[in-house]
Amino acid sequence: MPDFSLTPEQESLRDLARKFAKTEMAPHAAECDRTARFPEEIYRKAYDLGLMNLNVPADFGGSGLGSFDQCLIVEELAHGCGGMTTSIIANCLALEPILLGGSREQQERFLTPFCAEYHLASFGLTEPSSGSDAGTLRTVARRDGDDYLLTGEKCFITNAPHASLYTVFTTVDPKLRHKGITAFVVPRSAEGVVPGKDEEKMGHRASSTSTIHLENVRVPKQDRLGQEGEGFSLAMRTLDQTRTTIGALATGIAQAALDHAASYSLKRETFGKPISEHQAIQIKLANMVQAVHAARLLTWHAAWTIDRGARGTLESSIAKCYASDAALHVADEAIQTFGGYGYMKEYPVEKLLRDAKLTQIYEGANEIQRTVIARELLREYA
Amino acid sequence: MEIVVCVKPVPDPETRLRVGADGTSVDIEGVKFVLAGYDESAVEQALLLKEATPGSKVHVVSAGPAPRTEEVLRASLALGCDTATWVETPPAVSPDPVSAARALARAVAATPHDLVLCGKQAGDDEAGLVPAALAELLGIPDFSLVVDLRWDAAASRLRFQRSTETGLERWEVSPPCVIALQQAWNDPRTAKLPAILKSRKLPIAKVPPDAGAVPTGASRAAKFELPPPRTGAKMIEFKTPEEAAQKLVQLLKEEAKVFP
Amino acid sequence: MTAATLVVGEAHDGSLSGATREALTVARAVTAPGDVVGFLAGPAARSAAADFGRFGVARVYFAEDPKLDGATHSVSAHLAAAAAEDAGANLIVVGGTALGRDIVARLATRWNAAVATGVTSLVRAGEALEVRRPVFGGRATETRRLEGPHAAVAVRPHAFAAAPEAPVAPSLSAVALDRVPAALWVPKRLGIEVTARGGGPSLGDASIVVSGGRGGRAAENFHLVEELAASLGAAGGASRAVTDAGWRPATFQVGQTGKTVSPQLYVAVGISGAIQHLVGMVSSRTIVAINSDASAPIFKVADYGIVGDLFQILPALTAEIRRVRGQ
Repeated sequence: MPDFSLTPEQESLRDLARKFAKTEMAPHAAECDRTARFPEEIYRKAYDLGLMNLNVPADFGGSGLGSFDQCLIVEELAHGCGGMTTSIIANCLALEPILLGGSREQQERFLTPFCAEYHLASFGLTEPSSGSDAGTLRTVARRDGDDYLLTGEKCFITNAPHASLYTVFTTVDPKLRHKGITAFVVPRSAEGVVPGKDEEKMGHRASSTSTIHLENVRVPKQDRLGQEGEGFSLAMRTLDQTRTTIGALATGIAQAALDHAASYSLKRETFGKPISEHQAIQIKLANMVQAVHAARLLTWHAAWTIDRGARGTLESSIAKCYASDAALHVADEAIQTFGGYGYMKEYPVEKLLRDAKLTQIYEGANEIQRTVIARELLREYA
Repeated sequence: MEIVVCVKPVPDPETRLRVGADGTSVDIEGVKFVLAGYDESAVEQALLLKEATPGSKVHVVSAGPAPRTEEVLRASLALGCDTATWVETPPAVSPDPVSAARALARAVAATPHDLVLCGKQAGDDEAGLVPAALAELLGIPDFSLVVDLRWDAAASRLRFQRSTETGLERWEVSPPCVIALQQAWNDPRTAKLPAILKSRKLPIAKVPPDAGAVPTGASRAAKFELPPPRTGAKMIEFKTPEEAAQKLVQLLKEEAKVFP
Repeated sequence: MTAATLVVGEAHDGSLSGATREALTVARAVTAPGDVVGFLAGPAARSAAADFGRFGVARVYFAEDPKLDGATHSVSAHLAAAAAEDAGANLIVVGGTALGRDIVARLATRWNAAVATGVTSLVRAGEALEVRRPVFGGRATETRRLEGPHAAVAVRPHAFAAAPEAPVAPSLSAVALDRVPAALWVPKRLGIEVTARGGGPSLGDASIVVSGGRGGRAAENFHLVEELAASLGAAGGASRAVTDAGWRPATFQVGQTGKTVSPQLYVAVGISGAIQHLVGMVSSRTIVAINSDASAPIFKVADYGIVGDLFQILPALTAEIRRVRGQ
């Protein structure tokens, strides 16, 4: 990756996302955060401009972008609002298993109508008793003739109350643990699918998150992705693909925090001069920009690795883990730079800390990322 | 209806201006050039006219150096223009308005046109000379301060209004003519992602600049200056409120030159 | 024969417009006495052209015909070119109106000459002319040298004060309409509707903004700020204290958590200048602060300051502005 410059095409994509973030997302970010409003009109605009379904090939009506180009876009969107970005990219997470594990027939059947109009989708893996240890999930898929009956509960699912399609991970036999896990595509309209109430969250409040109850939901065999028992591997490969975009999302939040802190420091005066001239603030800003640059470059490198066809587990885990920790730290320092004003909801920085926190938790908590990183690292020394 | 729209790449309006190394022009190092302001509205207007009259085509034309001119043409294609023509001029040099008009005239003359649309002025030099200069070269009338532009297909006429100080003038004109649009009064669309990707592969016709006509007069940049940093207000001394008012109005008129 | 400077004028109600008189002042500064020549075209041009004499111009050209009412600018430009030829003029100076800019554009193209618009300064510099003009929305100023045997300049309106001159009796010469190509007469204006201007510009794109703070002490007094805004044709803004107090809707707020504006002129009335407000307006080109507190931080970023009681200053200022603008 010797050349770090973007092609004119990449600059155009980045500029499109930046403009959308600035003109459509940022002006409403504070209000949606305060009222936990789900701004469907903004998501529809994102869809209209081609900013949703970024990973779906153009053949099926998506934007067909590689990982690097997706990261360029996601960072810009997250700079506008982390919560809205989470809902926008949740489609990519939900549809990735269909791309990786679905047959051509399934891809056409699910993806083409989905991408032809505005739709939201959800990725259903997490359950009340299984987050990091996804292998112990308990939603069962009981064979019934040529169909399956799905029963169980998924929780903390992004977009669940609004999605028209769920990619659900179940088990055909809990005793098989991860070897029993099987993935299905379940339409919202199926009988027995009951999304729960919106959760009241610390951040990402423009994104809608809830439980999904599945009560004997009948799903035909044709809607199973791959074979029984291939679901766990499918989930892991999916997360390998999407992890870098969380690195980009976290980088966007961190960049926003840095922007606010740096501008403010030039204007606010204490002890007779702008606070940017006090060493305490200079050191903070220096640490913040180092973290932002590192987060971005680690994310770029991971995305580039994946675009070359490699699995990129080590690189993408490093990117996600580092960028999310960086976002939290940079947002924290941004609040500190603003002093008392940073603590007030009227100012935009405290929201960034609340939004940054989730990036350390979802799509693979950072503790798990670290064990994965260690495992991948040690492979080279074994 | 065949519509030609002329655009110019200009520094992004949010750019922090810096003086270039030789002190005569703006520093373009790292500056992003975009389609903006009145030009962006002109493209939008062309596309609206195209949509209102089926079978119409929009041809975007620009004269300027690589790579910014090509980028602005691609941005226009991504918005929905049908063809793009580039008159490439020497690198890093923005042609002066009359040279730009000459370059554009070559491209426009070679393209079918009922209407030549321009923005009122570019966001950088703000000369506002190209529309009339272009019209002079093409031998057709030009109209400025235009708002509310429509094409009456049945009568084959352009109908528009000019927003002047004395009022709104109504005009009806047979094509072709050059129209310079007034304030950015429409809401320019945003190019969608698939169109942006597609525009990278569309052809851009190239027309060489006319080496023939050598200007007999030239306007050379001699200095580029930014306003000095603020050092605190000039406090107005007065004995009566009326005196304060008079002094302030005088300063705004003669010193600051911002009095309306 | 020394070359002349042709000032192409416009008339309102039979007398030369303010822009034309400004252009005359500019032309005079760079032209030998007696070599400034005037030109006017219009349906009643002859009598208006005579008005040039009131401003010391002895040689005047004109083109008069009812057909000129509602003719296109290209017609005026051709007639001006003919006048320039007749007068032996190598420099054209006009007021920077829409017509003026069109004329210099067309003439400069025809002559292949140097041209500049929006000019705020014009001086001779050796063989050349040197102009200054605002660029980038007034955020910078450029100086240009206009070289060559011909030049055309459009002067920025209100940038120059029209200087009085001793009146003379002008000699008037007609320019024949047949010097305009027939095709240019065809487009015809259908009509003029005088539209009432109401409401004032919006805060986001106004070139002048007048903002009020809590200095007025009560909501009922905010009208003083708005009358000042109206006299300038400005958009109205407010500090957060004002919108929080409910004196005006939140859309009026300029500042960190309100709108950011950068007009040509920003007048801050009774606003202390806390950083939260400054962030929203500090990149305005010219800032005027009116406040009763001499130590208010706003005076550090303003260009002009008045320390006084706004209940006295505002009415006086509004009245003076109206007087000067002829309202």
